[in-house]
Amino acid sequence: MLTEFATVLVFIVLGAATVALMLGVSRLLQPRNPTAVKLSTYECGEVPFGSSWVQFNIRFYVIALIFIIFDVEVALLYPWAVVFQRLGLLAFVEAFIFIVILLAGLAYLWKEGDLDWVRTMQETPPRKGER
Amino acid sequence: MGLDKLLVIGAALFCCGLYTILTRRNAVAVLMGVELVLNAANINFVAFSHYVSRVIGGQIFAVFVIVLAAAEAAVALAIFLRLYATTGTVEVDTADNLKG
Amino acid sequence: MFLGNLESLKYFLPELAITATILLLVAAHVASKNRRSAAPALLSLAGVGASLLLVGLLPGGPGTSLFEGMVALDGFAVFFKALTALATIVVVAMSMDSAELKDKSQAEYYIFLLSVLLGMFLLAAATDIVMLYLSLELVSIPSYLLAGYLKGRARSTEASMKYVVYGATASGVMIYGFSLLFGLTGTTHIGEIGRGLALGKATLPMFLAAAMVTVGFGYKIAAVPFHMWSPDVYEGAPTPVTAFLSVGPKAAGFAVLVRFFYTVFATPDAAAGMWKFSSVDWPLLFAVLSAVTMTVGNLVAINQKNVKRLLAYSSIAHAGYMLMGFVLLTPVGLRAILFYLVVYLFMNLGAFYVVILVANGTRSEEISDYSGLGSRAPFAAVALSVFLFALTGIPPFSGFIGKVYLFAEVINRGVYWLAVVAALNSVVSLYYYARIVKVMFLEDPRESAVLPVPAFPRAMLCLLVLPTLVLGVYWEPVIRVAADSVKLLAF
Repeated sequence: MLTEFATVLVFIVLGAATVALMLGVSRLLQPRNPTAVKLSTYECGEVPFGSSWVQFNIRFYVIALIFIIFDVEVALLYPWAVVFQRLGLLAFVEAFIFIVILLAGLAYLWKEGDLDWVRTMQETPPRKGER
Repeated sequence: MGLDKLLVIGAALFCCGLYTILTRRNAVAVLMGVELVLNAANINFVAFSHYVSRVIGGQIFAVFVIVLAAAEAAVALAIFLRLYATTGTVEVDTADNLKG
Repeated sequence: MFLGNLESLKYFLPELAITATILLLVAAHVASKNRRSAAPALLSLAGVGASLLLVGLLPGGPGTSLFEGMVALDGFAVFFKALTALATIVVVAMSMDSAELKDKSQAEYYIFLLSVLLGMFLLAAATDIVMLYLSLELVSIPSYLLAGYLKGRARSTEASMKYVVYGATASGVMIYGFSLLFGLTGTTHIGEIGRGLALGKATLPMFLAAAMVTVGFGYKIAAVPFHMWSPDVYEGAPTPVTAFLSVGPKAAGFAVLVRFFYTVFATPDAAAGMWKFSSVDWPLLFAVLSAVTMTVGNLVAINQKNVKRLLAYSSIAHAGYMLMGFVLLTPVGLRAILFYLVVYLFMNLGAFYVVILVANGTRSEEISDYSGLGSRAPFAAVALSVFLFALTGIPPFSGFIGKVYLFAEVINRGVYWLAVVAALNSVVSLYYYARIVKVMFLEDPRESAVLPVPAFPRAMLCLLVLPTLVLGVYWEPVIRVAADSVKLLAF
């Protein structure tokens, strides 16, 4: 066991040494005269503007979080789907309960307004006579 | 591809993750480190399940790790968002209201 | 004996009751307009109460395995289910009184609380590492949210952030340890893992796996050096949540620690009537952990100015005391842990209850603001003194009996150094517990206004003081239940 790990160790050391050697050699040999154009993100064509650190709307994150939760829950249904026919009714009922619980979560999100892209801060009732 | 190679990949990923957790100060980056650690465990589980065990337990475990990692990440990110809203930063070491 | 899924359901009623209550709470939250009504609290009281009754009806028979070996039904699990359900009931009652939580959305709070309870039920019974991980996360994830439940308060959010960062790391490391164990034995059932490991001799991966799993469990019981999160979280979280975290998940952590290590890294030796460690020599490791935990907890507690933070360090120290019973590999040692957990539940929840009542009146958790509490709110002050002296372990309070059982077994097994360390620690702890009592009774009050203690909290405090006193003089039934629960674990 340990000798096998020793092989791995030698491998890692050799690998690291090779990378270091190549980078070092190219560092020594390369001509270096950086200019502003050379250092720009896209060297040809695109002229970058602004910073890449722009702020996205926070709603993207919330929607993404909600998506990822329900997305991975589906991962639990795959094994069930594969053997579904052999397991019969019991497994169907179990998966059904699972999905119902997920739906309760969805109902909660809906109620909280986390699914609306544009969040209504305050519901203003329409005035009488106005339509 | 043999079992030992997969294990080395797993171990390397684990070390990367732990290194990220210990050195990064941004809470989101720490969370990324945690994801690396979890996925290292996943690689181990799937590899062992394929080469060692005759039962499917390891693969099932991997699915559960994926699901729970997502749940944990969602909760953690929600908490970080809240922290950003209250203090304007998600750096772990600038959060020092609680000390002693 | 492995029971299939359908046959298991009738032994799963307590968990089903909690699940149904959680779903009802979600439905109530979605349907209702009023976020601050007391209905969710009452509903969860009813749900947890029903589940506690159902736990009482469970047969504590020796080791039935439910759901194809996923969870165990034994006296040990039943004991911890009853313990955590009881703690949750007290915490729900506390939360109804807490001024911090008054203007927060109620249903969501109780959904999280009950989810943690469900997780603790499963954690105490889990016999499969998949189930174990699932239930550990079910305890952890809602706990993160509970710690950060006070939206506007930066300290609460910060506590939550620290909790989630440490918690996620610990569980990640633990999972990696699990993956090694799975690789070594090729199974996810902890009984089979134990049998698999007992065949071979200790190897480096095995030790590594044991250490990594210890990180995850040590984090849950807040043992040094995995305790860093706990003072911050305990201070920043709403006080009822702090009380809950210091008792519930800690007890569940001990349950899983005992079950896991006693199944995986030890084998029962029926002839000697105790366990012997099979592969990795972990008792010594945990003995050192225990000594360090109680010493660090007690020494750091001395300088604290915030009551919640002080109680946090004190609860770290108590985890250290309880670990003493864990390292001995004897049923008597485990019995002492279980008994101590019962005692600890009442005294610690009681202390936090008084902290909530005082904070409701003074909006402060600083020890200096407790000055003259003896004249401002005599009832609460006397109750807090009882709890603090019980935590110290002074006769005739229940904490003393708990410590006697722990010490007796440690000395009986000849681990004298640990007993000496623990005794010295108890002396240190007297200093900081007595300091609060001194501030309450001997210092002049800063304000003279009387702090009102309404009737309901008064009754609840009585209900918590009573066991703390009674178990100090008549503890026979509880210790017998604890002994039975341990017996069912293996022998």
